[in-house]
Amino acid sequence: MKVAGCDVGSLTSKAVIMENDRIIGSSIVKSKAKPQESADAAMTAALAQAGLRLEDITYCVGTGYGRDRISFVNEAKSEIACHGMGARWLLPSVRTIIDIGGQDCKAIRIDKSGKVEKFITNDKCASGTGRFLEVMARVLNIGVDELGQMTEKADSPITLASMCTVWAQADIIKYINSGYSVEDIGAGINAAMAKRVAGLANAVKPEKDVCMTGGVSKNKGVLTTLEKVMGVKIKRVRKADPQLAGAIGAALFSQEKVNNGGGER
Amino acid sequence: MMDIFYDAATKIQSKPILDWKAAGKPVVGYTCSYVPSEVFHAVDILPVRIRGIETESMEIADAYFGPYICTFPKCILQLAGKGKFSFLDGTIITPGCDSMRRLDECWRKAGETYPGIVPSFFYYFDVPHKTMPHGMKWFTEEIQNLIAALESQFGKKVTEDQLNRSIHLYNKGRRLLQELESMRSKKEIVITGTDAFAVTMAGTVMPRDLFTTHLESLVESLQKKEVPGNDPRKRILIIGSISDDISLIQLVEQDNEAVVVAENLCFGVRYEGNEIAETGDPISALANGYLGESTCPRMYGKYKERLAALKDIIHRAKVDGVVMQNVRFCDLHGSENGLFERDLEKEGIPCLRVEREYGPLVEIGRLKMRLDAFLERLSN
Repeated sequence: MKVAGCDVGSLTSKAVIMENDRIIGSSIVKSKAKPQESADAAMTAALAQAGLRLEDITYCVGTGYGRDRISFVNEAKSEIACHGMGARWLLPSVRTIIDIGGQDCKAIRIDKSGKVEKFITNDKCASGTGRFLEVMARVLNIGVDELGQMTEKADSPITLASMCTVWAQADIIKYINSGYSVEDIGAGINAAMAKRVAGLANAVKPEKDVCMTGGVSKNKGVLTTLEKVMGVKIKRVRKADPQLAGAIGAALFSQEKVNNGGGER
Repeated sequence: MMDIFYDAATKIQSKPILDWKAAGKPVVGYTCSYVPSEVFHAVDILPVRIRGIETESMEIADAYFGPYICTFPKCILQLAGKGKFSFLDGTIITPGCDSMRRLDECWRKAGETYPGIVPSFFYYFDVPHKTMPHGMKWFTEEIQNLIAALESQFGKKVTEDQLNRSIHLYNKGRRLLQELESMRSKKEIVITGTDAFAVTMAGTVMPRDLFTTHLESLVESLQKKEVPGNDPRKRILIIGSISDDISLIQLVEQDNEAVVVAENLCFGVRYEGNEIAETGDPISALANGYLGESTCPRMYGKYKERLAALKDIIHRAKVDGVVMQNVRFCDLHGSENGLFERDLEKEGIPCLRVEREYGPLVEIGRLKMRLDAFLERLSN
């Protein structure tokens, strides 16, 4: 029995195909203008990896901002529930999940059984999201992946006066023009991001173990600074790509549904 | 039956207001639930609560208020600048909160650039923050001054008899709204939260006689309505910042997984909660009813009372979860929601705290995601 989860996010769309609690196919693609097109692209890639066709999938749960507009999903679930479920599969001891996606940032506390106890999402603006890092990396003329390595290479990270994406950008241009190194500026960006996220994460009263999911969790600089600011160890996710957590959670909901005798496509 | 309520709840220039104007009678707008509507009704002036719906942009309001302030008074100023309140013969501004107080200055100042937007009767009605004896005396005098100003502006005399008759009629409406509330508390869901909110909203802008007649028919028809008692929808209480937009309630109810069984909002039934005494001096009775028994968060030292009132609603309406929303930069509700969340979650009552922008629901995606996640939490 093969099940799937599809997470249509603002920047990337993810699909995961599972069989017997094991990932047999997955994909991360750039999101397109329409949720259906993003979902199709993600699912096609994941199916190809698993050597399957859509007809082979018994049940599929959709999540993410475009979850209600995907034709092939049987059911839609919120990202909060999916990230909670997915993170617990990635790291069974996890109780607090910090998920930083393209356009939002969430902190979720779950109980031992994986049920969501408390969650909070960013309210104000794009600061503290993947989009913030993407914009800043572009200003520095480096890839968003490279930005993560800047923290350990920096000598004396800069301090950003504002977390507003627009003002911070202007600030960074000023630092570039003043001759600061890319490493010091990059480390400053990661630190600003980590501090913003820490404020949010602390609001759910985090309990151990803490882990990070979402695309930004792959940024080592943000992760290590966040550990320092929050004063907790953030467990590294190694079982699968942490950016897939939402899609994994969705696939697990599909699996649960089928195991409980529900749902035929 | 609901059409007249929806018309009034979703349009600034609704039919009952236009009909009233066509009959050559004055309309006075007011901005806060502390303004006693009875004093207008007594002399055949239509009191209309000023609202922010139908706002499409913010360029006028941004120029006078700046960006770091609640969007509700900004929407009102924007609409005023666009001439949407041209039907008003008078405007009363009240310090419901500091942002609303500033509306007085901003509206007057904007009048210099947008001629004709400040009605000839533009009145500041002050409201104390305490209900100590000196506060009550002050508020009673404010009502007396308001009456004197109305009499002088509109050439009418407010008599005690007229006031008593108006109080009597408003009380009838209050009892009907309370009846509606008690029906919403029952297991059998006879009315959705969206419909109920449209009704209470309409009550703030419709001529009272017309509203009471329609409300009476609605309550009678709901009393006869038979519905199953085991409704699976989650029962939600909505509290927090000002909201005069039914789409917030619609968003909670749209997937048919939840129903709003009660709310504690400035525009909701809260403002109609207390009956006014029909004996003794009517002005003192109005002061006691409107201020003395108020449990709105702008009042000092009433947190415990408000918490107790919320717990009572939660218990009575068998609430599964509380949605606490606050408009960005809302000091009153932004801080109080945090206290409510702490105290209610401690007792095992699930709460969702969200911050949003007032006005056209620009953040539907994010709000909906959080509401869905909250409903999933309630279902676990």
